[in-house]
Amino acid sequence: MNTLGRSLRRIDAADKVTGKALFPADIDLPNMAYMKILFAGRPHARIVSIDTSAAEALPGVLGVFTAKDVPNNEYGLMEPDQPVLCGPGSNKPYADRVRFVGDQVAVVVAETEEIAARARDLIQVEYEDLPVVTDPREAMKPDAPLLHPELGTNIFTHDRIRKGDVEAAFAQADVIVEAEYHTPMQEHAYLQPEAGVAFIDEEGRIAVYVAGQWTHEDREQIAHALQLPEDQIRVIYPAIGGAFGGREDMSVQIVLALAVWRLHQRGVVRPVKIIWSREESIIGHHKRHQYFMRAKWGATKEGKVIAAQVELIADGGAYWYTSNKVLGNAVITCTGPYEIPNVWVDGYAVYTNNVPAGAFRGFGGPQGNFVAEMQMNKLAEALGMDPVEFRLRNVLREGSLMSVGTPVPPGVSIAQVIEETAKAAGWRKGPEGWYRPEDADDAIWPHWNGLPKPHIKRGIGFAAGFKNVGFSFGFPENSWARVELEGDEEIERAVVYIAGAEVGQGHHTAMLQIAAETLGIAPEKVEMRVSDTAFTESSGSASASRLTFMAGHAVKGAAERALWRWQAGERPVSVEFTYKAPPTTPFDEATGFAEPNFAYGYVAAALALEVDTETGEVRVVDVILGNDVGRAVNPQQVEGQIEGGVVQALGWTLVENFIQQDGYVVTDRLSTYLIPSVKDVPPRIRPLILEYADPRGPYGARGMGEMPFLPVAPAVMHAMRHAVGVWYHDFPLTGERVLAGLEKAAA
Amino acid sequence: MWHTYLRPKTVEEALQMLAEAGEAAVLIAGGTDLMLDLQQGRHPPVQALVDITEIPELRALEIRGDELFVGAGVPLNRVAASPLVREHAMALAEATSQMAGYQIRNVATLGGNVAHALPAADGAIALLALDARAEVASPHGRRRVPLADLYLGPGRSALKHEEMLVGFWLPLTRQKAASAFRRVMRPQGVALPILNTAVWLAREGDRIAQIRIAVGPFGPVPRRATAAESVLCGHAPDEATLNAAVEALLREARFRTSRYRATETYRRHLAGILLRETVGKAWQRAGGE
Repeated sequence: MNTLGRSLRRIDAADKVTGKALFPADIDLPNMAYMKILFAGRPHARIVSIDTSAAEALPGVLGVFTAKDVPNNEYGLMEPDQPVLCGPGSNKPYADRVRFVGDQVAVVVAETEEIAARARDLIQVEYEDLPVVTDPREAMKPDAPLLHPELGTNIFTHDRIRKGDVEAAFAQADVIVEAEYHTPMQEHAYLQPEAGVAFIDEEGRIAVYVAGQWTHEDREQIAHALQLPEDQIRVIYPAIGGAFGGREDMSVQIVLALAVWRLHQRGVVRPVKIIWSREESIIGHHKRHQYFMRAKWGATKEGKVIAAQVELIADGGAYWYTSNKVLGNAVITCTGPYEIPNVWVDGYAVYTNNVPAGAFRGFGGPQGNFVAEMQMNKLAEALGMDPVEFRLRNVLREGSLMSVGTPVPPGVSIAQVIEETAKAAGWRKGPEGWYRPEDADDAIWPHWNGLPKPHIKRGIGFAAGFKNVGFSFGFPENSWARVELEGDEEIERAVVYIAGAEVGQGHHTAMLQIAAETLGIAPEKVEMRVSDTAFTESSGSASASRLTFMAGHAVKGAAERALWRWQAGERPVSVEFTYKAPPTTPFDEATGFAEPNFAYGYVAAALALEVDTETGEVRVVDVILGNDVGRAVNPQQVEGQIEGGVVQALGWTLVENFIQQDGYVVTDRLSTYLIPSVKDVPPRIRPLILEYADPRGPYGARGMGEMPFLPVAPAVMHAMRHAVGVWYHDFPLTGERVLAGLEKAAA
Repeated sequence: MWHTYLRPKTVEEALQMLAEAGEAAVLIAGGTDLMLDLQQGRHPPVQALVDITEIPELRALEIRGDELFVGAGVPLNRVAASPLVREHAMALAEATSQMAGYQIRNVATLGGNVAHALPAADGAIALLALDARAEVASPHGRRRVPLADLYLGPGRSALKHEEMLVGFWLPLTRQKAASAFRRVMRPQGVALPILNTAVWLAREGDRIAQIRIAVGPFGPVPRRATAAESVLCGHAPDEATLNAAVEALLREARFRTSRYRATETYRRHLAGILLRETVGKAWQRAGGE
């Protein structure tokens, strides 16, 4: 029975296309009340006073809650540095401050959404504005306004890598390439804005229907803020309308639970529902970090990179979120999937009054790989060497020492991924190494735009990338599953319990396939019970490209054990299993020495684009994306991840432009924050699914959800250089920015 | 939100409903702009919506006498796909085929695009270059007015509350005449253009005998670039004449920097590019070469 490797129809497909699947906003409970949140609407201020009397007096209002109502007024995924509600009367120092426009100040619960909104507008808040800092480079200076005065600095993480002697190596280098880069913020723009319903369940628990990425972490954070035991809280994920990292941190979870709990204490037992508008969603959740980066790399004329020095400054926005981990990933990936003997990296995560930055598909990888791949393409050019050949002379191989001084985990496939992708894009291997014959173009790239016009320039670009699979830096990494078997002679039914979030990536289908494969039964006999803390333990987060690897191991392990008992005659069978990943370690503070990860994913892209040199418009016509997924559990879902990742990365590179002015979000709706439409999708995206088994992965599978994002931006910049002779160091590549680059080059 | 949703079957019935409901009623066709404006508070609250999409007259698209009539309630996809529009008003076909996404174009109407009165509305810009006249119905009767007379300011239509657009009358094409439209935007389909240009011209030998140019956003309301028209009229569209026309257009234009979309500088740059291209394309189409 081969279930693995088949493009089984997704188990949620029919419900989602017919509208039967319920997303949090679709859930209505009897006697439900509605919530609205009062956001700060200003980037930095101290709240002197809050007067809720007019709001509370409005007929139909059931309750208005502020900082003084939060038992333990702090939360945060990594560090609890954000008040649940900002304002006076809190149990935490400096919780009377708002530090970005989306800080929450008060919540109103009322009979209808309209009454709640009107009551929210009746709340009087007296603010004393504080100085605003929005550029992380300014925020690093000693005299900058402090976001969190108790720390004495805005720099909340500083990672270092010190490997070998970069200065000595630069002295020996034949070519040195130095540049400054900036990568922009990005909004997740998932289909479904934040929403949720909280209620007191039949066992007296505070239960929350919400869309998140990690049920048990949501539960822990709610319990922390409410000062309740975790088993008093229940988190349930119904259908989730996309996540991309944007649901890793709290949005409506804690305030919903708070409101239901406080009302309950007053004898008002009512479910409470909230749905954020798109504008609330855009200011209310974190973004991809903008990074300011400087790099200086040296190579020998034989094509060996011998030194890499990189400085990374990440704009963390107002709160910690996952910035330290995102930075750690950028610090590792900023020297690429290459073995470089001398490395010096300084990475800083800095508070500003911008919207907080946090997890977003790639999690520091897009920024880190961008620097590395820009430097590699520039060095190849400076050496007069083919960029594929140059990469292959430097790639990590089995046993290579990474920048952190330890060997790369086993299953290193970056050389094969680069070769296969290059081959598909017309590269050939000759006696001198890899090269790209110009005459191959038309056959390889059939989507060039008709007859070439003189002002339309064509370019081809190449880039590679890598990123960790699973939690890093010593974070406990495990995943739980339970498998139950029923039947007599044969297994008639298998029930799989997991908590992993189905955020659209096909997780539950993939786990069903792994269970069926392991048990040797038809997939129709497997039933999934998912994402409810009332009957599952933690499977960990839907992040870090980790669920296929981690939950896959958990399901496989539970299924193997269940089958063992079944074969020994036990009826029915119920087995729990927790998979624990190989251990990792954090950076050494002085040198960065670490075993930060237990697995990596490898990827490369070759793409073709056209530049209209009159208007500056860039049209990507074809993308070849080679991704080693170890083993494609469901090839159609893998293709979907590749296509989606490429389009999202093209959006980041070409279209999306998140504008903040003095801490205020200018692009707070989808008519001003533009994302690619279907018309911007390249005529062709060619997923090249490569399967070099990860020796540590379940059935050899690697994580892959984030990988396709990584090489796209640097490949576009490489193709731009090819097309118009300009290296672009900033994006999005709006028509204006492209033209400005052309003018500067011509001057 | 509204309490009453009315579905008149004739223009007269619609006008009567509007008059009876007073200021609290508003017309709705595709609703793709109106619903957003209502939701986002840019339009004052309304009590009644008068849905005009079931009025056959507004859904007509046909030759009437020596003119092409396009009903105000014809969805953009029907305009874009119509062989009549492609034959007699290519610029309008090109404009409507690029507006919004496919689903939006299935419901959004040409009349709505004009009545919403945005200075860069693609449909309105094409209609201006094509010398369309709008048929307006009011309780006092019907009249035909030049398109340019429908505007007071950005987003402000000159149509009175008790009036409605019935449709647009376009001259039929003739020998040696053609039109073209192009726009630049980012990304494709979902937002207003950074800049658009529509051109209609008639050839006489190697000269332009007549020309109409519309550019959006050119100023607070959709209007023609008459200075550039004067430069081109009577001349061959050679390099020197086109250069002069671009200069004239830039002198007359009142481009602005918008915070999200583009700077004034970029719009000035694009204006020349789009003018050359649309004049060139219309010139070729008109010559049959």
